[in-house]
Amino acid sequence: MKKNPFSLLGKVVLVTGASSGIGEQTAISCSKMGATMIIAGRSQENLDATLSRMEGQGHRAITGDLTVAEDLRRLADAVGEVDGVVHCAGVRGLSPIRMVSEKFMREVFAINYDAPILLTQRLLFRNLIRARGAIVFLSSTAAHLGVHGVGIYSATKAALRATTRCLALEQAKRGIRVNCLSPDLVETRLLRVDPQVAGPNEWLEEQRKRHPLGLGEPEDVANAIVYLLSDASRWMTGQTIVMDGGVTF
Amino acid sequence: MSFNPFSLAGMSVLVTGASSGIGRQTAISCADMGARVIITGRDAVRLEETRGRLEGDGHVAVAADLTDAEGLARVVDVAGVVDGVAHCAGISMIAPFRMVSEKAIDAVFKTNFHAPVLLTQRLLAKRQIANGGSIVFISSTTAHIGTIATSMYAASKGALFPAARALGLELATKQKIRVNCISPGYVNTPLLDGINNGAASIEQNYDLAPLGLGEPEDVANAVVFLMAGASKWITRSTLIIDGGLTVPISIS
Repeated sequence: MKKNPFSLLGKVVLVTGASSGIGEQTAISCSKMGATMIIAGRSQENLDATLSRMEGQGHRAITGDLTVAEDLRRLADAVGEVDGVVHCAGVRGLSPIRMVSEKFMREVFAINYDAPILLTQRLLFRNLIRARGAIVFLSSTAAHLGVHGVGIYSATKAALRATTRCLALEQAKRGIRVNCLSPDLVETRLLRVDPQVAGPNEWLEEQRKRHPLGLGEPEDVANAIVYLLSDASRWMTGQTIVMDGGVTF
Repeated sequence: MSFNPFSLAGMSVLVTGASSGIGRQTAISCADMGARVIITGRDAVRLEETRGRLEGDGHVAVAADLTDAEGLARVVDVAGVVDGVAHCAGISMIAPFRMVSEKAIDAVFKTNFHAPVLLTQRLLAKRQIANGGSIVFISSTTAHIGTIATSMYAASKGALFPAARALGLELATKQKIRVNCISPGYVNTPLLDGINNGAASIEQNYDLAPLGLGEPEDVANAVVFLMAGASKWITRSTLIIDGGLTVPISIS
């Protein structure tokens, strides 16, 4: 086989939210594709667990809460130059709009929108994302369609999509690509302990039935991220890839 | 590297339009990633040229015109059971709406819509697309934008989206066959040269894409992604790969 255009060999990639779920799998898959990883998350213990499942040498873990300005600054200072940034940190935030408090709304926005944008800003401002690098934001199909109870969450995810397009234009000159992924329901460990899922798991069963190809696996999202980080997608920017197992409603 | 969810090893992929441009590179890239490819195109000489550039063994070339019933039947016969189909054959048509002839509409729809749809239909009817397989239609950003003098070309490419969405649903539950589209922007291919001859000013359009003109590899790698297990949860989607061309445009 000739040189694999999907290889991440020689690339340094920062991934947030690497303690669990999609972020954790992204760290693992990218390392298996040859990248040197910097993984960020709030829990050292969880990051260590992720590190133990990664392949290759030279990976680093940095702990911190990205909604805390000081932590964000510390992360940006410690990162160094990277070829890719993947923003996986996020919360689902379930609440019907009539029950939403301002505090809740600000928290969900702080984690899902403010943190990834401010981190990206800081890295770009200090020229830490190399030319022909790639930035990937995690949106959601909830940003494309109406779902009960996630009015604020879907707004944060739609905001990421919108900013993706603007940032793609701003960074094209340096060949830095900015893309977004909109997965539907992915079966992470977190999902199984979600309060909505606790109990008889009727909701989860119903969700599985809705998706002709089943629910997503963290690997599915991680593989799409590998594609968006690799040179295979060097001409793709400003886009959102929808991945939903064929769900129609 | 042993871990490679983008490998096509063990897969057979049928590629149409493989005598030039995106189709040719798709055949080359799929073979590079380990697939056995069945290539088809109208020009036997250039098709053979493509075959000579394929890595690995067992590749088959069938010169045929897919707008012709006999040609279509022959491709289906030779293809056997495949894991993937990449519909890359297509023609361009530049004409202002008021100048479009019925004959020209027929011609562009026959190649860009009827042929890929009928080929897919025939393969499915004979159970020649394996369960878990992948079908990829090459559309065009023109179908999203609707630029001057491309009305019928855009319509023929745009018709593929809803067809792919419906087919994707029909094939998802039992066969787990995925159906997706790719909408490339301006790619450095002979088809683009053809457009150039029609209207010299179109060259300015290349500069519209923030990342410039694309290469066939950029589209071929997206096809590889959609063929591979890496995209097993993606169906009924369209990947726009255009160097950012449509990013500042309001598209549907």
